[in-house]
Amino acid sequence: MTKEELAAYIQEKYGEKLTPLESGRYDLLYEVSKDNLLDVAQSLKDDENLQFDFLCNLLGADTKEHFEVIYNIASIYKNLRLDLKVILPYDAAEIESVQKIWPAANWYEREMWEMYGIEVKNHNDLKLLLLPDDWDQGFPMRKDWDAPDFVRLPEVD
Amino acid sequence: MGLIKKLPVYAESMPGGSLVLTSVEAILNHGRSKSLWYLLFGTACCAIELMCTGASRYDFDRLGMIFRPTPRQADLIIAAGTITKKMAPRLRRLYDQMAEPRYVIAMGGCTIKGGPFYYDSYAVEKGIDHIIPVDIYIPGCPPRPESLLEGCIHLQEKIRKERLRDWQEK
Ligand code: SF4
Repeated sequence: MTKEELAAYIQEKYGEKLTPLESGRYDLLYEVSKDNLLDVAQSLKDDENLQFDFLCNLLGADTKEHFEVIYNIASIYKNLRLDLKVILPYDAAEIESVQKIWPAANWYEREMWEMYGIEVKNHNDLKLLLLPDDWDQGFPMRKDWDAPDFVRLPEVD
Repeated sequence: MGLIKKLPVYAESMPGGSLVLTSVEAILNHGRSKSLWYLLFGTACCAIELMCTGASRYDFDRLGMIFRPTPRQADLIIAAGTITKKMAPRLRRLYDQMAEPRYVIAMGGCTIKGGPFYYDSYAVEKGIDHIIPVDIYIPGCPPRPESLLEGCIHLQEKIRKERLRDWQEK
């Protein structure tokens, strides 16, 4: 299945749940709403023609307007790749765990949780992964984060 | 007696004789400085240079330095690489597990003052001397194997100058 065929297939089958986003020459990128995420993920995995069974990456992002959670998934059997994006407003930073569908999400979600403060629901082991065990200084990857002993690079003109 | 004549620091021969005098201190320090077994503690890119120094081209073994995988058998810890705040308590713990006398070499900018991660980093410890006492600092990013060897030779000199009294006071 080529990229165009995949785009057409997804448009036909998942058209109402996945909104295509501009992704240039990279993998196809779709926006999915928070409520549809688990449904869509499960059906992408179970679909006979797609079999997206591999979660390559799960990342958070802070764009200064909202949070984004991005899933890079791939199909080993069909040699396909696809990106999903969930957009979360700052005041409702909360997402369902996809652990049941792709178990690899466990550590990624822990990291996203500690770095961005995006709450992950139904995660079985939500504790600090990379930050020190006694960390209490907030979420370092947020754009507006600051801490007392954090040395900023001086401005150079 | 030729060998002994070359070692006036450690031993003396009496006129006409077979008697050799030396001090416990000199023998102890000699032994310590010539068999520094170091703990493998490479946490980032500096470790590559440490491995290179341990391999045949630069050959750490000729200084009597052999790597040990456990702190219980090590005299020296070469902290080679970035120490994050998460890693810092582990480093302290490994240091505490080493038997006295024990020495620390801080290798590379990261262990001295955070190195390239000094600015804009929430995760990196700004110098391992906040955590454990350091004997020798080797700057560089990473230091060349020659600098590491030089640092170790300085450490050996430092050990040879040690007095037993110092240990009692500690
Ligand atoms: S001092 Fe430089 S080479 Fe050494 S660990 Fe730090 S960044 Fe890597």
